[in-house]
Amino acid sequence: MDSRPDDETLLLAVAERDMGAFRTLYERHAGWLAIRLARRCNDRDLVADAIQDTFVAVWQKPRGFRGDGDIAAWLWGIAIRRLVSRLRTRSGVAAVFENAGVAPAAEDQVLLSVEYGDIGQALARLSPEMRAVIQAVVLDGLSAKEAAHLLQVPVSSVKTRLYRARAHLRAALAEGPS
Amino acid sequence: MTGWHLDDDMLRRYVERTDSLAEGASAEQHLLACEPCRARVNAAASVIELSVIDLAAVWGHTRDAIEVPRPSVFERLLRGAGLPAPEARLVAVASAFRGVWLAGVAAVLAFAALAAAFGHARGVWVFLAVAPIVPCLVVAAGYDPWMDPALEPELVTPYPALRLILLRTIAVLALALPAVLLFGLLVPGETAFAWLLPAVGFVAVVLAASTWVSPLRAAIAVSSAWLAVVSLLAARSGSADAVLQARAQAGFLALAAASFAIFLVRRRRLRQLRTWR
Repeated sequence: MDSRPDDETLLLAVAERDMGAFRTLYERHAGWLAIRLARRCNDRDLVADAIQDTFVAVWQKPRGFRGDGDIAAWLWGIAIRRLVSRLRTRSGVAAVFENAGVAPAAEDQVLLSVEYGDIGQALARLSPEMRAVIQAVVLDGLSAKEAAHLLQVPVSSVKTRLYRARAHLRAALAEGPS
Repeated sequence: MTGWHLDDDMLRRYVERTDSLAEGASAEQHLLACEPCRARVNAAASVIELSVIDLAAVWGHTRDAIEVPRPSVFERLLRGAGLPAPEARLVAVASAFRGVWLAGVAAVLAFAALAAAFGHARGVWVFLAVAPIVPCLVVAAGYDPWMDPALEPELVTPYPALRLILLRTIAVLALALPAVLLFGLLVPGETAFAWLLPAVGFVAVVLAASTWVSPLRAAIAVSSAWLAVVSLLAARSGSADAVLQARAQAGFLALAAASFAIFLVRRRRLRQLRTWR
């Protein structure tokens, strides 16, 4: 690698109130965090607010990182929860899972089945609602309550959709590719 | 690290959000662990029109948010009491709330109360001389333009000067009165509370007088007068009874009411507070 400081060095410098290191950390992570958050929420202002909240939290508690795993994963954990709490205070903004509604083109579908095999196809057959729940709970690691805030549905719906999605995937994987 | 990276097509689909859930999920999982690919996403995002989030502006807001100083303990107390944030700031910036100043006031009071507790008759006189003038001195310091240079521009803003000064006065008294009361507990007998009405009267006099002269000047004049009266009484009778008498206390009450009325009538003058110098 080149001589640029790694994220942990930057975070230590941020703990010493180093604004330059903070800026570098921001430039390194704000972009992809914004892209990933925007995949969870269509309201760009909310995403921008969540990014701001995330980095303010990092500045205030840089020692919140315990040194386990990647700093990127730690940042994402903060960011998605900041987005959830921003959504909680502003009602009426629907978090839309845009990609859930876009069907992959036929050739992409073939590529996908090559690359991901049965799971990719099984996931693709889930309804958009179930995919959203899988994404929030399984992939983003949110609790059922947090997922409910993000998706603006009752907690009970999150739980039943998750249950159904799992049953669906299990059945699809058991019967093999169609 | 596996050597596997997002290829350009996957990257484009990820940023454009045309990928499937499975592909997006593996891209995201990979991005958490792969700095080079994150940098590529950042670069792609800045090129592709899709990320309309203005990250430079967000950085500006973030900087603003972390550079705002934390409100002082007192300001947070005021906000807790229901005062809107901008008003709490206006009230709390008064010099009187700086810790050193409060510590000085507390030291004077402690000295007076100790003198009263251990020095018998003469000590009670010291307390009676000091306690009533502390609140009016603190109030004057709370809005004298000399103590708080920021006050002059504040007073010419549309914000009502009367409200500002009264809010500061109440806030200062909320700090100073309990302190004096607490130290007063060290003082034996009724003297412990005899200073209250004189103190209220002097605060009102200072408020009224500040429509003519600088608040600090008014407070110092009132304090000097009170000290002169007390020492005169002490020299003549050697007892604190005169101030405790109902008639004297009623006089202080009347003084407070009259002064406050004058203050309200002349409140327009508050916009051009006289400075100490």
